[in-house]
Amino acid sequence: MVITGSALFVETGSRESVLKHLKRYPRVTYHASSDSGTELVVNMEAEDLEELENLCAQLKDEVPQVVEIAHIYVNFEEEVEEASFGQKDKRRLKKPKFIDNREL
Amino acid sequence: MSVTRREMIKLSAAAFAAAALNIPFAGRTEATGEDQIEVDKWVKGACRFCGTGCGVYIGVRGGKVVGVRGNPAALTNFGFLCVKGFKGYMSMYHPDRLLYPMVRQEDGTFKRVTWDQALDLVAHKFKELHQKYGKDSVAYYGSGQCMTEESYTFNKLWKGGFRSNMVEGNPRLCMASAVGGYVTTFGTDEPAGSYSDIEKARTLFIVGSNMSECHPIIFRRIARQKLKSPEEINVIVCEPRLTATARIADVWLPADPGTDLAVFHCMAREMIKNNWIDKWYIQNLCRFTTGKEVVDFDEYAKFVDQFTPEKVEKLTRCPAANIREAARLFGSQGPTMSLWTMGLNQRTRGVWANNLIHNLHLITGNICKEGADSFSLTGQPNACGGVRETGSLCHLLPGTRPVADAKVREQVEHAWGIPAGTIDPKPGFHTMQMFASLGGERDDSKPIKAMLITTTNPAQSLPNCHKYFKGMQDAFLVVLDIFPTRTTQFADVLLPAAFIYEKGGVYGCSERRSQLTGQCVEPPGEAKPDLWIGAQLAKRMGFEKLIPWNGDNAPENYRKAWDDYRSCVKMTEHSLYGITYDRLQKSEAGLQWPCPTVDSPGTVHRYVRGKDPIMDMPEIVKVPPTALIYFYADQKHEGKANVFLRPYKGAEEPPDKDFPFFLTTGRVIEQWHSGTMTMRVPEIARSQPNAYVEINPKDAEEYRIKNGDLVKISSRRGFNILPARVVKASLPGILFVPWFDQNWDRMINRVTIDAFDEGSKQPEFKICAVKIERFADPKDVADMTIVSRVDDPFPGKIS
Repeated sequence: MVITGSALFVETGSRESVLKHLKRYPRVTYHASSDSGTELVVNMEAEDLEELENLCAQLKDEVPQVVEIAHIYVNFEEEVEEASFGQKDKRRLKKPKFIDNREL
Repeated sequence: MSVTRREMIKLSAAAFAAAALNIPFAGRTEATGEDQIEVDKWVKGACRFCGTGCGVYIGVRGGKVVGVRGNPAALTNFGFLCVKGFKGYMSMYHPDRLLYPMVRQEDGTFKRVTWDQALDLVAHKFKELHQKYGKDSVAYYGSGQCMTEESYTFNKLWKGGFRSNMVEGNPRLCMASAVGGYVTTFGTDEPAGSYSDIEKARTLFIVGSNMSECHPIIFRRIARQKLKSPEEINVIVCEPRLTATARIADVWLPADPGTDLAVFHCMAREMIKNNWIDKWYIQNLCRFTTGKEVVDFDEYAKFVDQFTPEKVEKLTRCPAANIREAARLFGSQGPTMSLWTMGLNQRTRGVWANNLIHNLHLITGNICKEGADSFSLTGQPNACGGVRETGSLCHLLPGTRPVADAKVREQVEHAWGIPAGTIDPKPGFHTMQMFASLGGERDDSKPIKAMLITTTNPAQSLPNCHKYFKGMQDAFLVVLDIFPTRTTQFADVLLPAAFIYEKGGVYGCSERRSQLTGQCVEPPGEAKPDLWIGAQLAKRMGFEKLIPWNGDNAPENYRKAWDDYRSCVKMTEHSLYGITYDRLQKSEAGLQWPCPTVDSPGTVHRYVRGKDPIMDMPEIVKVPPTALIYFYADQKHEGKANVFLRPYKGAEEPPDKDFPFFLTTGRVIEQWHSGTMTMRVPEIARSQPNAYVEINPKDAEEYRIKNGDLVKISSRRGFNILPARVVKASLPGILFVPWFDQNWDRMINRVTIDAFDEGSKQPEFKICAVKIERFADPKDVADMTIVSRVDDPFPGKIS
């Protein structure tokens, strides 16, 4: 399990609407915002770092007022345990099944 | 109220984030941060995945690193970290770690040996080669990722012990032109200002840098300024690709690769025509010169007058109106800060390009003021601190001083306690010459017979790399690293090294800031810190007195090496004598040199009276008592900086009929350098599993290339086969390929050119001419290639 302390940078004036959107994401917990309302402090939770990346990408996609997401703390002690030397086979990379043909 | 462990971690994580953002956080009463997260200790340190110098805290539990958090008190990153900062360290637990010394056997495979056997063999071989072929037959090739104490030690051993200047490092490939630019313009290396100028600048000029991917934390500082005051803050980006960096720009200057000298001169022309210049600066702080003779301002104005916006547009494809607007913003909407990296440096005219950026700052008075600086961002975490400042290049001595200078040699010999005349006045070979001169004992044309390489992967990172494989294979090659790499495939001896958090030490980032990382955990297996390896080698070769820090207490060894180094540069204008280990341990943010005394707070702005302590240290430099700003390293002792009339010159190999495309290369946000670490973090590897070639849709259409198609990209030197990424970000005629991929088909340095700047000797990685052809239908190439085992055979033909 990965838990972050992260900053969401959002467009000016969009704080309330972003918070409304965030309610749809049970793995994102809001805590506080800056006076300007453009910086929100949240936790993000994910099974692993890959899922965290996906969650960030999903947030940016689905909540257009989110300009950027920055993690300030990431706790992933279980992941390190898994990465230890005793579990060599687990750690070998699995080949993903996709061809990179994104249209940017 | 009882709080579960998970809730506690969440609250603590949120508290860290809030602190970094300076946001009041009610939850702090329940979760006040580090004490609440279950770690045995948090160790202060620096990130090692770019040159920004982000402050981090490393969480350790049960002898393992289990977490990383940004340090909110760090003045580089204020607690923010990028994807590499968070995840990159996990590579230290990858099963491919080199754990034991190994020696290649006659059958070509490696065999595990003891440290004594390995070190005795290396010492014996080096001594034998010294005797047979002379002191310069054994070279050292280091890295901007080694700790300062390590680079200093190897440099001292080679120059003060072996009496050889055959010392180089990979910063030659990334920063040498910036050094050349600073030294020729200001008389000494490294920027006058600091990152803190970003928040005080009104106009930011970003040149040859995709900082959104390569220096994301610095980019965040800029983007935050722009987001906060979009009407007040101006951003200009000069870069041939419409990168995420260029997307925040008010003005984009899309000049073809290698043509921007004309753009900079044109901006100077517009500034002069419109009187966006600072006459006081010009009169008092500028010396106009062709490089051969001093001229006056009128001559300079006449020189730049030939670079009219319309002419420059024809030459560079950069719209004239954009250049005019960029000049206006730079010259009249200051303070202005420029930031650049490899797009400016990795060129055959890299030094000149650096000079011309400095020109713009000098004629407009945009330097040595808050928010105004001409600032080179370094690419690696310790290229500045470890290699430039310790003088670990073939022509330098500690304090970035020339080895050819008799007074400097005398001072260093005195500091090192070695007889006068020990240090060879003749510079050694620069990186490209060094690798071109590397070969076997039977080859009389190759004077360098052995090389010790640490923390870098030249078999993948040298331009036109296959030209240098044979030399690496034939020579006696000793490689210190944490993983197998393309370079270890040529090694005769492999020495397993410790990762930064397994040893600690000092890194010095782009803004002259030294930060100490504490040792967090022990290295795995029998891996050892580079410093220990260097000191043990010195001991076996008879230089124990010169390098006495050879005990088994790693932190103590590093402290001793640091103290030796700071004493050596005490009486220089680069002095960091006041930056002691004790101060670094106590300081959350580290210290910036010049810092000549233990009570000095360090220096944010150099050359400014009241801010830079060196201004009032006549024992180091002479500065007139009335001078408020004075470029004290000026070789003519007039306190002036040089504004150069550099003629226009384009790339070494521009596109032509046979090779009609520009190829430019670079980094992507997820991957670090040759991918040896980041490719071993599965999430990173999967997010960017292979290199690709970016092609503009118009070019793709002409060549009938679709997204994902395999494309053969060929230069006069070699070819790659890469999947196409059809994007508008690259202009027609310009291709981009990232260079992290170890896969033989996608190692782009088989294609790049090894021509180099005649001043800085830095190669032109950024520009060469290529042709393309559609090679095959889309194929899954996301193979995330790594050299996984030491005995993996090298894939390419070596000749």
